[in-house]
Amino acid sequence: MTIPIRPLTVTINGRQHGPMDVPEGLMMIDVLHEMLGLTGSRLGCGIGICHACVVIWDRDDQTSEEVRTCITGAGFFDGKRIRTIEGTAQTDERGEIVALSPVQQAFLDQFSFQCGYCTPGFVNAATVLVERLKRAPVPRGEVQATVAAALETHICRCTGYVRYYQAVRDVILTTPGLTRDGT
Amino acid sequence: MTAADLARDRLAFPDFYGEDMLLPQGKTPAYLGQAVAILIYHEFARFRFAREKLQFNDAVIRYGAVTGPLRRDPWGAARFVRVGGRTPYDDDVFSCLKQGPVSATFDNHEPVWPKPARDGGIDAQGMYYANSITDELAHPPAEWLVLTRDYATQSGDTTALEPDNANGWYDADKQDLHLVVPTQSPQEVAEGAATMLERSRIGLKRLFLHPCFTVGYGSKDHCPMPYYGVIAALYGDGRPVRLANDRFDQFQAGLKRHQFGMRYTMAVERNTGQMQSFQANIVANGGGRANCSVALTMVGATSAESVYYFPKSDVAATAIASRALDCGSARGYGALESMTATELMVDEIADALGIDAIDLRLRNVLKTGMKNAQGAVPLGVQRAEAVLQQARAHPLWTGRAARKQAYDAAHPGKYYGVGFGSIQRRFGTGAEASLAKVELALDGRVTLSHSGTEIGTGASSSQAVACARWLGRPADALDMAVTDWPDLPVQTSGDPHTMSQADQNRLAQNPRWSPAYASASSASNSAYYFTHVTQEAARVVYLYGLWPAALAIWGSGSAQEVKPEDAQWRNESLTVEGREPLPLARLAHEAHARGLVVGAAVHGFNRWQWAEADFVVDGVLVHALVDGLSVRFGNGAGAAKQALSSTPNRYQVLDRRAVSFPPTQNNNVMIGYNTAVGTLTELAVDAASGKVALLRHHTIVECGNMLVPQLVSGQIQGATATGIGLALHEWLPLYEDGPGNGTWNFNRYHVPRGSDVAVWDQTAEVLPPLSKNEPPKGMAEVAGIPIMAAIVNAIAHATGHRFRTLPVTPDRILEVLA
Repeated sequence: MTIPIRPLTVTINGRQHGPMDVPEGLMMIDVLHEMLGLTGSRLGCGIGICHACVVIWDRDDQTSEEVRTCITGAGFFDGKRIRTIEGTAQTDERGEIVALSPVQQAFLDQFSFQCGYCTPGFVNAATVLVERLKRAPVPRGEVQATVAAALETHICRCTGYVRYYQAVRDVILTTPGLTRDGT
Repeated sequence: MTAADLARDRLAFPDFYGEDMLLPQGKTPAYLGQAVAILIYHEFARFRFAREKLQFNDAVIRYGAVTGPLRRDPWGAARFVRVGGRTPYDDDVFSCLKQGPVSATFDNHEPVWPKPARDGGIDAQGMYYANSITDELAHPPAEWLVLTRDYATQSGDTTALEPDNANGWYDADKQDLHLVVPTQSPQEVAEGAATMLERSRIGLKRLFLHPCFTVGYGSKDHCPMPYYGVIAALYGDGRPVRLANDRFDQFQAGLKRHQFGMRYTMAVERNTGQMQSFQANIVANGGGRANCSVALTMVGATSAESVYYFPKSDVAATAIASRALDCGSARGYGALESMTATELMVDEIADALGIDAIDLRLRNVLKTGMKNAQGAVPLGVQRAEAVLQQARAHPLWTGRAARKQAYDAAHPGKYYGVGFGSIQRRFGTGAEASLAKVELALDGRVTLSHSGTEIGTGASSSQAVACARWLGRPADALDMAVTDWPDLPVQTSGDPHTMSQADQNRLAQNPRWSPAYASASSASNSAYYFTHVTQEAARVVYLYGLWPAALAIWGSGSAQEVKPEDAQWRNESLTVEGREPLPLARLAHEAHARGLVVGAAVHGFNRWQWAEADFVVDGVLVHALVDGLSVRFGNGAGAAKQALSSTPNRYQVLDRRAVSFPPTQNNNVMIGYNTAVGTLTELAVDAASGKVALLRHHTIVECGNMLVPQLVSGQIQGATATGIGLALHEWLPLYEDGPGNGTWNFNRYHVPRGSDVAVWDQTAEVLPPLSKNEPPKGMAEVAGIPIMAAIVNAIAHATGHRFRTLPVTPDRILEVLA
């Protein structure tokens, strides 16, 4: 049996990959794992429920959003720009990490994760939220509800969520420009 | 690969897992979801698309005639009877400790208990007293309240987010097998894989096991997946093979939580609220393979009395075999199920007697020195009473009646409730063994190697931190899940749980022997047991490396004037009043230069007490709570000392001079080290939807001195979330509609989300330790249990209805509210 092929060109973490031949119908998580060696996005459920596999899709209008790669075919990403967990921290020219993102650092400082399997998804969700709040700050009194809404779909079995939520809340409250006065 | 391939090559599971690794053609499967074949693909995309064709496709397997499920004897049954003396402190009339548990035979696949005889054998005597308890409960004194209730807990999935997987490569030319396996029990996998290959027609010269940082909540402890990975690798045509469950597979094939059915009868004196008698019949569904079902069920049975003292008790327990999926050591290990039922019953009895539910608990709480249901006195100070007192005074409890009135008035259609649950639970398995090696570099950097596996609980962080007690700083580098210990050869044989004292005495003559080699990461064993060996290794380095180095720097006479116990580490410097503070780096340099001890590897064994032994270190007799010790001397050691170093990393393996292993009798008494926990919950039930909104919860834990408080609080938060899931959301059908059919996933198995756990409105407190020397105690598993009863008791407070089957789902609430 011959497997049909489609070309894919995608920019991941600022680097263009492709055009490359991708078996038609392959989900993006498989392309990341099997063809590009980017194994940080995690397969949790395979049906779009747990959100461990989300990447950040950077739209041309400067907004960003999470996309579940376990249920999104690779073809969807043709010509698009995405970020995966491998691109979150700052690295030097040798690829060594020189600085974690504020979200990553907060997760470490606050012991937010345990087994870490869901963590890439939480980092991406929190990153998208922080970027959204930069564009549209929320009243300080709504931060907890905002965090809860943004992370609600992400499943974590180890932590009970508390230290994830608290870390994201604290990043938002301590980063200038993400909140505003009022209710 | 099919069963025929495995039979040809004489490949089979290690004995623990039973027969038919793959189901032979023409044979009735023992259980739903039993593996039939492994298909190996050499190209990923082809695998992916083939899998899509195969998944959910029942036509892939050709079925023969319908035979009906197999009928098999239970995996095991036992009965734990106790008739106490006049007081909790007096000699028992009959108990497990004094006489023994009662064993059953099987007839027509049902347990049959021995005939009672007061003067018969232990089993007959036990049944005599069991029957006397039955008779008394059937014809109780007038002042007794006797309540009989049936409880049931659900089958479930542990839902480790990383599904089971195993990666392997068999190099046929060299006969090397390489395995990369996420497992809680790497030692078990190493031994099991070697045994498998040894019995097969396939040659094995070397096994390379690379255990991973993982997560399991019991499902990756003694799990069959690594062995499927072994055979996949063997048939991989020389290629590395990855075997990885997706979530449907994981529901279909991962080890499940045992479903429990429990009939409890409890008698309480009405006037005093004193518990008098407890009888239980517990049936746990162990599913298709025995795995740990017997041990887990017996832990459930021996935990059923929870934190209470009963003068008389009779608990019968059976682990049945069924066509349900095979079950493993899911978090809570039987005690979660049996203690939850107890906590529901105690609440109902308090209600019936008109006694405050925590007051009733306090009147009956097991205190230090009292005997447990096996007739043994639990080790250490019992602190359940302190937890109960703290809970009784908590505002969530004290103001509940007024708050209910106010809440219900302000929220028409919602019912407010507050509930409480408390438990006390052993940590450790009763045969804990670990290895640790602590080494100081010339610049003072500390390296720790440990046999324990990181499973997300933070054991790697806590073990690194544990080094600081003796070395002044946490380990700089650490290696967990180490299975190769060339610097500390330890031999083991026999079963530490069942061996006779005579066998142990005989085997202990071998200075390399220990009853067990290395434990899995399980049973909340890192805080206490892993830490013990880490700190014993660090202590040896301190006492025979750093301390003599410090004395040498401080100068003549110091040895007489200052003692190691006078010293303190401050800012990574060793300080003694009146002496120059010495930074670790300087001490390490000095210890190396003088050829003092700069590394120690230890093996420890605990059967509710530590093995201990004497060793001669550098000419000095050393007593340590370990049964194996090797030391490494600094680079400045003379030739004579260096010549003693025989291992690859230049360690001297010491022959112990005397050893004292904990007696084998400790296996029978189930004394254990306990951690006590209580949880208060506040919730609202929506009358229209039946949904339960958890408003707040508060957990009280006593766990000794915490190694890393953030890890303790994280474990409380995570464990309570699991308890919430089991109380309200999670369940799996046992049989044909259950996960064995391959159609289960998170779309219908609801794992709690942030909105389910009162994420912003939960609190916890850890009681102050009894002393600065109280060791850290295991608490991760225990912390998730009391919230289950606390939620169901709160639902009773809210609605007036007592649920006795878990989970309490909205549809069931709607039924009773209708």
